[in-house]
Amino acid sequence: MTNIELALWSFPVLLVLVFLRAPIALAMIGIGVAGTYLVIGTSMMTMNQLKTLTYGTFSNYSFSIIPLFLLMGQFATLSGMSAALFRAAESFLGHRKGGVAMSAVGACAGFGAICGSSLATAATMGQVALPELRRYGYPGSLATGALAAGGTLGILIPPSVILVIYAILAEQNIEKLFVAALIPGILAAIGYMIAISVWVHWSPNSAAVKDRVPWGQRMTALGQVWPVIGIFVTVVGGIYAGIFTPTEAAAVGAAGTGLVAFASGQMTWGKLNQAILSTAASSAMIFLIILGAGIYNNFLSLTQLPQTASVWVGDQGFSPWFVLTLVLLMYLLFGCVMDSLSMVLLTVPIIFPIMSVLDFGMSPNDFGLWFGILILIVVEVGLITPPVGMNLFIINSMDKDTPIGQTYKGALPFVLTDIVRVVILAAFPPITLWLVWVIDAL
Amino acid sequence: QDVTLRLHQFLPPPAPVPAMILKPWATQVEEASGGRIKIEHFDAMSLGGRPPELFDQARDGVVDLSMTVVGYTPGRFPRTEVFELPFMMTNPVATAKAYWEMVEADFQSNEYSDVKVLGAWVHGPGLIHSADGVTSLEDMKGLTLRGPTRIINDLLSELGAEPVGMPLPAIPEALSKGVVKATVIPWEVTSSIRLSELVSNHTEFSGNESLYTAAIVLVMNKAKYEALPDDLRAIIDAESGAKLSAFATQVMWDMDAPAREIAVNAGNTITQLDEAEVARWKAASQPVIDRWIADMDSKGIDGAALIEEAKSLIAKHGG
Amino acid sequence: MYRRLQILVELVARVLAIVGGAVLLCIIVLTCVSIAGRALVTFDLGIGPIRGIYDMTEIGMAAAIFAFLPWAQFTEAHARVDLFQPMMPRTMDRVLDLLFNLAMLVVAAVGTWRLYLGMQDKLSFGETTLIAQIPVWQGYAASLVGAAGFILVAAFCVLRSGRRIAGLPD
Ligand code: NA
Ligand code: NA
Repeated sequence: MTNIELALWSFPVLLVLVFLRAPIALAMIGIGVAGTYLVIGTSMMTMNQLKTLTYGTFSNYSFSIIPLFLLMGQFATLSGMSAALFRAAESFLGHRKGGVAMSAVGACAGFGAICGSSLATAATMGQVALPELRRYGYPGSLATGALAAGGTLGILIPPSVILVIYAILAEQNIEKLFVAALIPGILAAIGYMIAISVWVHWSPNSAAVKDRVPWGQRMTALGQVWPVIGIFVTVVGGIYAGIFTPTEAAAVGAAGTGLVAFASGQMTWGKLNQAILSTAASSAMIFLIILGAGIYNNFLSLTQLPQTASVWVGDQGFSPWFVLTLVLLMYLLFGCVMDSLSMVLLTVPIIFPIMSVLDFGMSPNDFGLWFGILILIVVEVGLITPPVGMNLFIINSMDKDTPIGQTYKGALPFVLTDIVRVVILAAFPPITLWLVWVIDAL
Repeated sequence: QDVTLRLHQFLPPPAPVPAMILKPWATQVEEASGGRIKIEHFDAMSLGGRPPELFDQARDGVVDLSMTVVGYTPGRFPRTEVFELPFMMTNPVATAKAYWEMVEADFQSNEYSDVKVLGAWVHGPGLIHSADGVTSLEDMKGLTLRGPTRIINDLLSELGAEPVGMPLPAIPEALSKGVVKATVIPWEVTSSIRLSELVSNHTEFSGNESLYTAAIVLVMNKAKYEALPDDLRAIIDAESGAKLSAFATQVMWDMDAPAREIAVNAGNTITQLDEAEVARWKAASQPVIDRWIADMDSKGIDGAALIEEAKSLIAKHGG
Repeated sequence: MYRRLQILVELVARVLAIVGGAVLLCIIVLTCVSIAGRALVTFDLGIGPIRGIYDMTEIGMAAAIFAFLPWAQFTEAHARVDLFQPMMPRTMDRVLDLLFNLAMLVVAAVGTWRLYLGMQDKLSFGETTLIAQIPVWQGYAASLVGAAGFILVAAFCVLRSGRRIAGLPD
């Protein structure tokens, strides 16, 4: 078997292991080590690399942003800001048809501005909004579907752990990616609200409306969410203005949300412990996957597959847009069964070099940002597509009356808006890039 | 062919060092061997790990050859640091020849004993690139800037500046955001990170003086080297050593001029500190040299003797 | 006996995770102090950023992540795809689990052993960080604490999945 054949065979083997429920990190480590052994005929290379690789990966300054954002999300959950956000959104939208669900989506968007993880956003907002939705007569399908979709705003709206990982793998600028994600993130929230309004339009009895709230009370409710705005502006604005590095910003954001949680009286020792344990489990899980992806990708570079593949794709004379469509479809397909983080870590080191040799008529920097946002959206769709969608599971587990099939059904309209959004953003790159251009020109 | 060697390093393929030093060198070796040696290039850390791990990758046989900056592993190659002391380097090529001579006579058997050193060179004169201008020693006080090596960071602290550690690719962002106000690097590096667009002041040191340089090595796994057939080893030896070291430094030094030209064309201010001012800097850097000698003493190394030897060898080679 | 072991292992994993979290909190506080110091540099009060804060962050983060590993292993937090689980025979699922836990034990043991060798290298080379000049081996040593805990927990998980095959309670 040639080295390239070995590399190509490693994909199906990896998939089989993953479908047999091997921890994804373990599968990548195993295949990376075995593949390297087959290429060079000795395990000495891997064994010696392991003397420094693990420590080097875990101590990488750029990666240290990840646990900090995760802890920030945990503190945000304790801060009581989720309830304040929901109340504020309700005061503006609650009197409309489907308004309570729209408020939940709006509150998810707000929460996403201070939380870098989808699962934490879904779990936190689910606790606040799900009982309210059911109280106002929303069917289980719509209520759980809307919240599962709303949870993805945790990643779609900066700060975002997946964007950090993409930035590191594709050597892109984290702060510019955060800015580029902003408009597509807001479009996502708007798309979800449109999906809700179409749903309640077609089945008009599916939801009750609240009374209209006078402007004075709306302003009071909005006043309650100032810490969210303050933290978002400090973190994302502070990175962009150059007051601090992304890692420093994550530390400041964690400190800020921690103080708000402390001031709210929610931060007991027990809850602080819980927040740390949860951060510990997620961080360790992510770093082990980063390590596994590193070992696996080293094996692939050793076989020269990434270079060979990008030369091959270049030689075929495919239309760049055709290749892009294939890649995005592939992500959507894999997203049905895999989690977004593993997908990004596994594929970006291979896919990005291939895509960046294709000519989409834009500068390499613009391409890196635009492609990153497209990838971000298609991997996030995976969180709400059946059969394996983590957000669907989280929200469904909170609602004992709704079978998972109903949640699958409830998520479909939101998946549709995601696909429409990807097509629009792919066809019109300036939607994503415009804000970056404007801020750069300042 | 008989032998395939994997060469791992941290720069992207178009950068001058891989494109104009390592690849031509590898081609020469391959041709001289009549195709019996093949060298595979793995640029930009594509075989994994981070730059500080490159030396060990060659040592441990993770790769066969690696090029690394000695300063990435502070404290590990104490003798080599003699060439990184402030104002040690005069003529870069002479300094590279001196460095190689000391590697061959001395360092290969102690701090590089785990590998076979094929080339040992330095880059062109390091200088200060700043947003607000550095025209005298006093301008260094409170300046936040990125320093490249342990010794230079010590020097910057000594001068009252605030050194910040960061990898080379992070410099443009850090400068444009004001996280640091200045950086010290040679001219050659400025073009790849478009430094002349980010800062408008450059501070050179007049005469043959330079603030610092950084030591760079190309090393080979020892077992792999010793296992080569005699004729192939002779071929590699003939293309390496003093020849490669002087060539590499000359290439890097030559790249300084076009990069400096970019700054001139951009209308940037290039200040040359005069002899009297340079003398002040030299005096101010003496404590760093004294500290280094004391540090070497504690490691059982005669630092003062190394300085004397380095200076006389640089002079011997025309520096 | 198993019950006592389980309580002990959980305690080790939990304490290590909390200690790692405390390190994370320290990094947050130090980073904020350093940013404040940097902001005050211009006023020439003799206050500045913490020298070598980046070095400290790297070392602390490595130690924290290693300390988090045992907890992730104990709580089975590793990402995996459960798509086909409902279709798999229960015994097969559990046997696979045992195999994967064994593999994880190997990864933990080999990884820790290599980390230990890496520490010895760094110790003998006298390598330090760039700015704070902290000996690099100390970062490795701090990481070894969590790594050792990872071996213990991974071994326990092998035992636990063995008991599950035998139909014994967790
Ligand atoms: Na977010
Ligand atoms: Na899915």
